[in-house]
Amino acid sequence: MSKSLTLPRTPSAEAGTMARSSLARVWREQRPLVKMDLCNLCGRCLFYCPEGALAGGREILANLDFCKGCGICANECPARAIVMQPEYTKDPGLIGGDE
Amino acid sequence: MIRQLLNGNEAAAAAARLAKIEVMAAYPITPASGVMEGLSRHIAAGELRCNFIRVESDHSALASLIGAALCGVRTFSATNSQGLAYMSELLYHASGLRLPVVMAVVNRALSAPHSRFPEHGDAMAQEASGWIQLYCENNQEVLDTLLQAFYLAEDEQVSLPAMVNYESYIQSHTREVVEVPAQEEVDAFLPRRLQAWLDVEHPRGINVVTGPELYMDYKYAQDEALQRALAVCGQVNEAFAARFGRDWGGAAEGYRLEGAELAMVTMGSMAATARMAVDQLRDEGQKVGLLKVRLFRPFPAPRILRMLVGVQTVLVIDRNIIYGSGGALAREVRSVLSHQSDTPVYSFIAGLGGREVGTGDLVKMYHDARQAQASGKKPAPYAWYGLTG
Repeated sequence: MSKSLTLPRTPSAEAGTMARSSLARVWREQRPLVKMDLCNLCGRCLFYCPEGALAGGREILANLDFCKGCGICANECPARAIVMQPEYTKDPGLIGGDE
Repeated sequence: MIRQLLNGNEAAAAAARLAKIEVMAAYPITPASGVMEGLSRHIAAGELRCNFIRVESDHSALASLIGAALCGVRTFSATNSQGLAYMSELLYHASGLRLPVVMAVVNRALSAPHSRFPEHGDAMAQEASGWIQLYCENNQEVLDTLLQAFYLAEDEQVSLPAMVNYESYIQSHTREVVEVPAQEEVDAFLPRRLQAWLDVEHPRGINVVTGPELYMDYKYAQDEALQRALAVCGQVNEAFAARFGRDWGGAAEGYRLEGAELAMVTMGSMAATARMAVDQLRDEGQKVGLLKVRLFRPFPAPRILRMLVGVQTVLVIDRNIIYGSGGALAREVRSVLSHQSDTPVYSFIAGLGGREVGTGDLVKMYHDARQAQASGKKPAPYAWYGLTG
């Protein structure tokens, strides 16, 4: 039992964050990679993302805390500008990602 | 203080009024409906300022109270049997979220077959739900224990929900003289120590998904908190006795246990009958006493062990059956005694679904246990008392 942890009495987390265990990056298997040279900024990926994890402006950015890696954005992209990149590359035991 | 003729439900409503509950949610169910009726009257008469949420089910009742308790207000409900079973999922939410919801549970036998009559099986089915469980012998104890339950549940060392149990009809619909304390006395006994988790200024996500790396630690903390209720229960009892002059013994009460060779152990209304059986047997020269368990969760193991020192035989009478195992109270008592003694524990299942258990029945159980012990027979895991077949 790890006594060093200080847990809130009521299981909860400050708004805008989630408990470490619930961050999608722990178990996501793939992530969207947006090729901005192909993207025409139409915004379809933003509309179809079920988690609201994509943000658009001058470029399309994925919030990888919440992206589940479902790939709907890549499927919907008319310009084929989004490809799904596996999180597990060489070592399947390691969670990929650089954040 | 005034003396009133109150049934158990009215005593529970009076306690909730005196505790100045702020949110009540309940769904009508016999025999607990009287509690919400009583509180409706208190609210209508202007004696209590409380938001009474009328809900479509017991499940929703407790869900509403969980939301309210997260806002740091004093919450209360009443239910029994099927309603408590329907609440089951939310019982675990309330305890896991460490919310001091207090609830009156008017113990009634669970269906099937359909019944409305007294039995502890409904609450026993929730023994692992993480709620504090207290059991009452009479209507004065219902009122007093509910006031104590708010104190115990809201203590910051504990911060857990509590159910106060009393039996259908025997207590819920039977009037007794009850001393109703003055409001100022209750105010002084029961300070508000509630924490708001939902606050628009400091938004939080409640009950977020918790993975294997933290879930078990939350459960450890929850169990530790429930165990702390043992010590706090004693403190509450002392504070209550000092202010109101009634000492219910805290987690358990002994009656004529001095010099007893055999101890009857039971809970709830049967304890009142057992007092009479003990008196009768003592008059006949039998060395017998009563151990009445008030706090079933957390189970006061050290206290029970101390109280049973010197006792040679234990007789446990359960108004419940854990199918395939036996009586819940007998199981706990055996578990306590297994560490330090080879005292035989005789276990009777009695009074299920409201079957009458009178003084004569308890006297007979006493003699049955004595005879069995004299014949050198090892106690059976449990025996059913009073079958008609």
